[in-house]
Amino acid sequence: MNKTVAKILIWSGVGCLVLFAAAFALGYYDGYREAHSPGSGQREVPAWLFLVLVSALMAGGIWVGAIWMRSIDEAAQEAHKWAWYWGGSIGMAVGAVIGLMAILPQAAEATLPTLWPDRADPAAYVATGGALMALVMFAGYLVAWAVWWWKRR
Amino acid sequence: MNNRLKVLRAERDWSQADLAEQLGVSRQTVNALETGRYDPSLPLAFRIAKVFGHPIESIFSETGD
Repeated sequence: MNKTVAKILIWSGVGCLVLFAAAFALGYYDGYREAHSPGSGQREVPAWLFLVLVSALMAGGIWVGAIWMRSIDEAAQEAHKWAWYWGGSIGMAVGAVIGLMAILPQAAEATLPTLWPDRADPAAYVATGGALMALVMFAGYLVAWAVWWWKRR
Repeated sequence: MNNRLKVLRAERDWSQADLAEQLGVSRQTVNALETGRYDPSLPLAFRIAKVFGHPIESIFSETGD
């Protein structure tokens, strides 16, 4: 197995284990608190803890991505840079069209679905919009990456 | 840019995978180079020249030459 691929797999595994342990600890903490003050109604995950977890997840993702990006050859890097610019930009433009529709006054009356069926608050809309933007940018990226290699097959 | 990669490789009876391994790139990259659809960076061009034992200018030429 390629040394870099092995390194990526090992560090991804370590990252998953750390996240699993953190999620387990979080569940244990919540159960412990509920057991000692049942029905207190305070079952939310502390925001600071969630912030730390997702920050660690994102930092780990960037780190693994950097290892991987350095491991591929220059043509493969070029394909990703091209896909990042063209695919990502075109995807973002598509997402922006949807986002700009929010300018319309009648958009204030619209009830749109969010990532969570039982939530329609501003934070849920922000998260849904962000996820949709990431989705169209990723779709553009994939198409552009495939086009780059297709033209050089 | 034109290049003589395919000819030089054939002269040595190397597969694309053989050349890719010597250059430290993927087979797909060697294919893209050979078809002239990808121009290598200067460091890769120097590696190619070293592998074939030829000066860069005898391997690569401007399109139309």
